This record gives sequence, structure tokens and C-alpha cells, in this order.
Amino acid sequence: MLSAIRNTLRVPSISVARFFQTSAPQSSEKFDHKRIPTEDEGVQGEKLVDLDAVLKAKQNLFPTLESDNLIFGGLAYKDLPICNIRVTHNNTIFTFTDALGSVKIIRSCGMEGFKNTKKGTNIAAQTTAIGIAMRAIDKGFKTIRVRVQGLGPGRLAAVKGLQMGGLDVVSITDNTHVSWNPPRPRKARRL
Amino acid sequence: MFLTLRLLSNRHPSFIARTVFVKNNNVDDACRLVNRILGKEGILEQFRLTRYYEKPFQTRRRLNHERCKAIYNEDMERKIQFVLRKNRHEPFPGCY
Repeated sequence: MLSAIRNTLRVPSISVARFFQTSAPQSSEKFDHKRIPTEDEGVQGEKLVDLDAVLKAKQNLFPTLESDNLIFGGLAYKDLPICNIRVTHNNTIFTFTDALGSVKIIRSCGMEGFKNTKKGTNIAAQTTAIGIAMRAIDKGFKTIRVRVQGLGPGRLAAVKGLQMGGLDVVSITDNTHVSWNPPRPRKARRL
Repeated sequence: MFLTLRLLSNRHPSFIARTVFVKNNNVDDACRLVNRILGKEGILEQFRLTRYYEKPFQTRRRLNHERCKAIYNEDMERKIQFVLRKNRHEPFPGCY
């Protein structure tokens, strides 16, 4: 329909060109259904959401019923010591506990010698993590599970530091307290 | 059975909920996966919103802004899809 209209509109110019044209017309505007390619998925991960690709590719990433009794470094998962990391904007606090929750070592960026705003940096968190990992290894911890609480600049660096210090991190758990019907929070900061 | 008991005693049992195992000593990936899941589920957003009290006028303004943004994004997405569409009847429109 459209091509028909276009052909009628182009009539004068074609008639002028025809004087010089000896070959067949260059383009025939015919709709060819076969030429349209099928819907392609493209490169993997281009159309799929990244998260879904990860979940599809790897199994055993998340704990199941049986994961409590999996053996890591000679201990069942539920008996592994825990490293609790409390991350805030201003500080990072590490606490090593046994599986039952009694505290063995506690260390924070402030105790490590960082003062004031420097406590809240990722470098401070990493240094403290490496330091506490040394102490933990001295006390006989080797394989641990990590529980992170709160948001802050030290969140990634803290867990990475533990590994750099020589500990074997089995799992990472987020334990940030979030409520959908919280009590009234403190008033907003005035900037 | 064991899990049911744990769920009855605690609706968010530790080391079952929000937990990712580290594979091949790749802590970075595991951390990022946790963060991404938290972000997708809206937990980080809720944490940020409830850090300080949000006055009702601010809630109204935020919601209205979110609605406007969603409408704009939807239209813009459609526009981009239209411009970027690959399956044309005529591969070089306007060229003879």
C-alpha cells in the first residue's frame, strides 16, 4: 500500500531518469517475510538479566536443608566459627565468635589506630580485617562463616581483608536489620 | 523437618536467609551477588529510607517523582527500542 503511494509520487523523477537508464530498476520494494531474521538472543547476558544468568550458571550457591551438615575444613557448617562484621558509616567492628555465639576476639578500626573520619574508610576496614585474621589464626580459627551487618564503605573491603589475612571464608550472610514498619526514626539531618 | 522447626522459632534464621556460599575462594563475586540480590529485593532501599524520618510531604513528593520517572522511562524505552529495531522490511530506507 505504502510502496504503491511512493511509486506514484516518484513518477516524475523516474520518467526523467528513464532517459539515461538502460538496466532494470535497482530496487523492487517487495515485502519478503523470509528475509526477516528470527528473534535472536544475541550474546549471552545481553538480553537476560545478569542475576538470572548467574543463578542459571551456578548451582549450590545458596544454603539448603542439607547445607548445615556439609563439612568445611573438618567441621560441619553449623559448627563453624562466625565472624560478625558490623559496618557503619563511621566505623567497622569485627567480632569472632564460636558457633554458639560466645565472643572470642573483638577488634574495630578505632582500636587498630585509625582515628575520627579515617575509621570509616575501606582501607581502615581492610587493615583491621587483616590484623584480626592474624589473631584469629593464632587462636586456632581457620575456616569461618561471615555475617555482615549494616551498610558502609568497609563492607566489601572487610570480607576481602579476612581472606587476605589467610582465613578461609565459607559463606557470606547479610544480617542488616531492615523493617517495613519501623518505629519512627530519628529526624532527618539538616544540610 | 529441621528447617521447619527453625523457621517456626525464627522467621529469618541466620545462615539460611540472605546467605551465599563462596565458590573457588572468590569472595568478591559472592559479596557482589549478595549486594545485588539485596538491591533487587529493595532491602537496601528500605534501609536507606528508614535511616531518617521522612516527613509526609517528602513521601508525597518522592512518590510523585517516582511515578513521573517511571512514565518517562517507559516511553523512552519504547522510543529507544523503536530506533534500535533490527528487523526492518527495507534495510536502507530512503536510499536508492
